[in-house]
Amino acid sequence: MPGSFHIVVKRLFRDLTGSAGILAAMTARTSTALAWAAIAMAAGAFVALLIGWLGGGFVLDLPWAPTLGLRLDLALDGIGALYALLATGIGLLVFAYGRAYLPLHLGQAERPAPDAWRFWSWMVLFMAAMVGLALARDLVLMFVFFDLTAVASYFLIGFDREQREARGGALMALVVTGVSAVAMLMGGVLLYVEYGTFALPALIERAEPGGVTLAAGALIATAALAKSAQVPLHFWLPRAMVAPTPVSAYLHSAAMVAAGVLVLGRVHPLLALNEVLLTALIVVGFASIVVGGVLALAQDELKQILAHSTISQYGYVVVLYGIGGSAAAGAAALYVVTHAIAKSALFMTAGAVTLATDESRLSRLGGLGTRMPLLAIASGVAAATLAALPLTLGFFKDELFFGAAIGAGPGIGAMAVVAAALTFAYIGRFWLGLFTGRPGALPNAIPHLLVLPVAVLAVVAGAGGIVVSPFAALAADAAGVSHGAPVAIAPAYHLDARPENLMALAAWALGGLVLVTAGARDRVAGFVARAGDAMGPRRWYGAALHAANRLSDRLHGLEVHDLRTSLAAVLVPGGILMGLAFAVTPTDGTFEVGPILAGDLPIVVLLALGIAAAITAARDPGRFRPVLALSVLGFALAAVYAMVGAPDVALVAVVVETMLTLVFVGAFAGLPPPDPSMPPPVPGRRFRNAIAGVAAGASAFAVIWAALSRVPIASGDAAAQIERVADAHGGDVVTVILADFRGLDTMVEITVLAVAIFGVAALLRRGRAGTR
Amino acid sequence: MIIEVVGPRLLGPAVVLAIAIIVKGYADVGDAFSAAVIVALAIGLRYVSLGRERAEQGLPILRHASTITAIGLLLALGVGFLGVVRGDPPFTHLPAAGETVITIGSLELITAVAFDIGLFLLVTGALVVLMHHLAELVAGRDQ
Repeated sequence: MPGSFHIVVKRLFRDLTGSAGILAAMTARTSTALAWAAIAMAAGAFVALLIGWLGGGFVLDLPWAPTLGLRLDLALDGIGALYALLATGIGLLVFAYGRAYLPLHLGQAERPAPDAWRFWSWMVLFMAAMVGLALARDLVLMFVFFDLTAVASYFLIGFDREQREARGGALMALVVTGVSAVAMLMGGVLLYVEYGTFALPALIERAEPGGVTLAAGALIATAALAKSAQVPLHFWLPRAMVAPTPVSAYLHSAAMVAAGVLVLGRVHPLLALNEVLLTALIVVGFASIVVGGVLALAQDELKQILAHSTISQYGYVVVLYGIGGSAAAGAAALYVVTHAIAKSALFMTAGAVTLATDESRLSRLGGLGTRMPLLAIASGVAAATLAALPLTLGFFKDELFFGAAIGAGPGIGAMAVVAAALTFAYIGRFWLGLFTGRPGALPNAIPHLLVLPVAVLAVVAGAGGIVVSPFAALAADAAGVSHGAPVAIAPAYHLDARPENLMALAAWALGGLVLVTAGARDRVAGFVARAGDAMGPRRWYGAALHAANRLSDRLHGLEVHDLRTSLAAVLVPGGILMGLAFAVTPTDGTFEVGPILAGDLPIVVLLALGIAAAITAARDPGRFRPVLALSVLGFALAAVYAMVGAPDVALVAVVVETMLTLVFVGAFAGLPPPDPSMPPPVPGRRFRNAIAGVAAGASAFAVIWAALSRVPIASGDAAAQIERVADAHGGDVVTVILADFRGLDTMVEITVLAVAIFGVAALLRRGRAGTR
Repeated sequence: MIIEVVGPRLLGPAVVLAIAIIVKGYADVGDAFSAAVIVALAIGLRYVSLGRERAEQGLPILRHASTITAIGLLLALGVGFLGVVRGDPPFTHLPAAGETVITIGSLELITAVAFDIGLFLLVTGALVVLMHHLAELVAGRDQ
């Protein structure tokens, strides 16, 4: 039952919190309060980080798990400050936007206001994880935060959980980014094995070019590229657009996708050791720019245009990290800031337009410029920023990008112009399609809070176009970490025919041409989109997921086919694995037959009784006799324990045996009487039963024999522990083992027990409801 | 008949025995798990002899078995991670080996005892939750 787990969890939650009353008591007012609390948290964090960065940053380095070499190493250095300020600053504006958006969104879907608490808690957790990731300098710590963002994004993308697409999109994002995140951990472990530390500063000092750093770098880069939705792992991002708009505006502009390039920027000195990795980054980056850019031209849904644009834009950053060197590192840092500001503003524009007009397709929208003037101007500035027009911060991002590209060679320079032209074309199509031309769906009034954050971002982008030095200082500081040495960048307007300016002019001209020739453009873009659908990586993902599902279903079907296969599924693999373990373990002196002394007679008698009981249990066709025989066997063994000097084990055995016998009798009493019309068992099956039983029994026999012929307790490892029983204020080995030596095991066991009990209780209750 | 008379009255002796087993556990044979199963068996006998309704009427605490389970779990977890708060590895029991211990009779007051009490509450509570639901299941089928 796939649904039963959810029921169990729900029940558990309700049992633990007392009742659903807490949730029901949460009115719309409390959810508003939650929103303001989240906004206040983001604002506080932003201000604190800003003051921290202006004050020169800080380093917090605490031991975490010293035996594993893990440290809680957080540093507010340049790159940490840049991404943490982005996460909190954009977060602040998006949260304010979400404050107005969410009630409307929930109202449209007729969902209760308390659903908001899920939204805000995951949003805040996501922000915290993102800040943590920005500051972390330990590979394992980075992996933890990286995965935390993936988990939070799963719940945020799947916020509208009654929609099938939302669940599918959330799962896809989790699988693609979560599975590839494991590659990052593997890379970290490789480096740890070679250099003995997870700490990045130490690693960067010690690492040398070679196979290990190449493999580790490739693994870490894979995780980062998947997170930044780079080709060929880009397909999760368009599917993630089912998320509510504030989630897209935050996760898919400034946070989740930025986490990938953040990791690239952090570990860049390691990547730069091997030239081939940098070349691969350039290839992946340009492929993403082209694929994302062309597909963005083919989309009709507003958010889909922006999602493909994000793929393309992070391609720029990846290319810059691939080029390497101080100029490219500075350009990459400034690019991330500028893109996050512009893209989140555009996402919020798309959401505001959709809420106002109830229409999300570009072909049905238009002429909104006169009806929503403030939004048109604000998003116009954001679009101009992305298209790198002068008097916006965006101009400088492309200036530095072109500068770095031309420094890497004319081929890369030409590609850079094509990339910028694509950006100009699709973002022009987006903005012109929305706010100019023939009027489409008519807008209703929307809260000011939906437009205000866009306006604030537009002001920031416009101010950056005039006074660029604060942004340049932040970017240079961040680039210093990526490059491993201080970086100076000097973005400025130059009214002369330097290559950067000529490239910008060429890009605008080329982009304008694409924008004007609508027919040819749509045909090419449409063809690429169809080709991608037919044989793109999303198809492989689907095929792989289905194959895994089928395999799992088949195994599960085999296991639960009937009672016999359920038992065989435990016995046969258990027997085979133990047999294999014995085949590879040295067995010298393991299988010994000791002498039988006169004093052992009672034990021999008890064991004979046990054997007889076992045979009865296996052979008797009745119901109660096998149960009683099993119980005789158990008590006989308990008596043997008592005689060989383990009375504490015997006590446990006796109580467990009593319980089991009663449960068995109770269960068998509840069974319907045997049906005489049942066909006799198939002979072939009996044969298989015997094989399964013998396989399991023989290996268990071998294990027990080997254990009993081991060195006596008095001289083994156990002896040292038994001697220390007195230290633990105990005289009884079992108690001390449970509470002290194996305390952690016991605790985990009882936790599992408690959860299992709640699960069983839920199933029993549900079973009763079903029979009514 | 005998069960109906003896069953409910066995609970008292069973609890005394269980306490003895827990306390003895630190010097002699016994531990919280066995103690819990013994008490649960006695409660089970009570359910069998009186039926669910009367068993729980006479001993209302049985209705709160799930709370007791949770308390037991929290107690055990709290004791287990007490050491972490003080900067020691988890399951560092207090007082440490060799230090003086407050004793009541032969019972030594150490955190391991609290852990065992948590374990006892958890196992007893869990088994009673099961019995409660099974008894309801049987009652529902008989109707």
